Amino acid sequence: MRALRKLVLGETWALPVGVVLAVGAAALLRAASGDAAWWRDAGGAILALLVLGALAYSVYSSARR
Amino acid sequence: MAFLLTMLGAALACGLEMLEALAIVLAVAATRRPRDAVLGALAALVACVAIGAVVGPALIGRVAGEPLRLVIGVALLLFGLEWLRKAILRLAGRRARSSSFAEFVAEREALEAEAPPPPGQPDWPARVVAFKGVLLEGIEVVLIVAALGARPGGAAPAFAGAAVALAATVGVGLVLHRPLQRLPETELKYLVGLVLTTFGTFFAAEGLGVSWPLGDAALLVLLAFYVLASQLMAAALARGRGAAAEVPA
Repeated sequence: MRALRKLVLGETWALPVGVVLAVGAAALLRAASGDAAWWRDAGGAILALLVLGALAYSVYSSARR
Repeated sequence: MAFLLTMLGAALACGLEMLEALAIVLAVAATRRPRDAVLGALAALVACVAIGAVVGPALIGRVAGEPLRLVIGVALLLFGLEWLRKAILRLAGRRARSSSFAEFVAEREALEAEAPPPPGQPDWPARVVAFKGVLLEGIEVVLIVAALGARPGGAAPAFAGAAVALAATVGVGLVLHRPLQRLPETELKYLVGLVLTTFGTFFAAEGLGVSWPLGDAALLVLLAFYVLASQLMAAALARGRGAAAEVPA
């Protein structure tokens, strides 16, 4: 089970938690926008920045260990 | 554009996973009996095909439209970002470079420590090691191909990429372990991480109602964005490592 968890979620909890937070925040923004044009046009860039934040956090937390 | 990137992503991801599985099977075959290694690997392959037969249709049949894109996107992000995280640490010198040959050597040394059973009896430790190695890498192949192939028009390039990877891995296996030492695995895994993360972001955003301004060409913009960001991160980490090394004890 540990090997399977490592396979799906990876070696750290920071990354899966970060992905869930990034996608969750994007979903909240979409809900708040009410599918407005700004979300349809800029939502992708916002999600990419949130995903980058999750990656940066996991990389730097791994590097500190 | 999407066809080529999907095929490239599937071929590289599947190829590298298959290579890691091959390293384990070769190590088992070299130190124990080839027959037990092949039996363990074949049993794992059957299990992977069974899992693929369940996961693929379930993913496509039960989830559709925006939710399907979101599920695929999140799955690809989970895989892609993990590959990318490790690759950034390796490029920055914060982690050992990826090497299937090193895995081959380590696995062989671990197996040599245990005495094989008498002739005529099945070598269960060898079978289990080969089975586990191929199963774990195989499940990742199944999940990546299912995720890349589940979107409309994605099945053909995903399966084509997996077929190319299989042919290349068999080719490597036929000439044994020498090519394992020559492959720039760290850079290849970095590329896979970039491609999977790009697709993951693209699909997850579409699943959240985003309409990409450039259509499929937005994939290239996303790819460039992640290349730039990851290179900056690796450079910053490498600089930090160098600065730490210069501090007198």
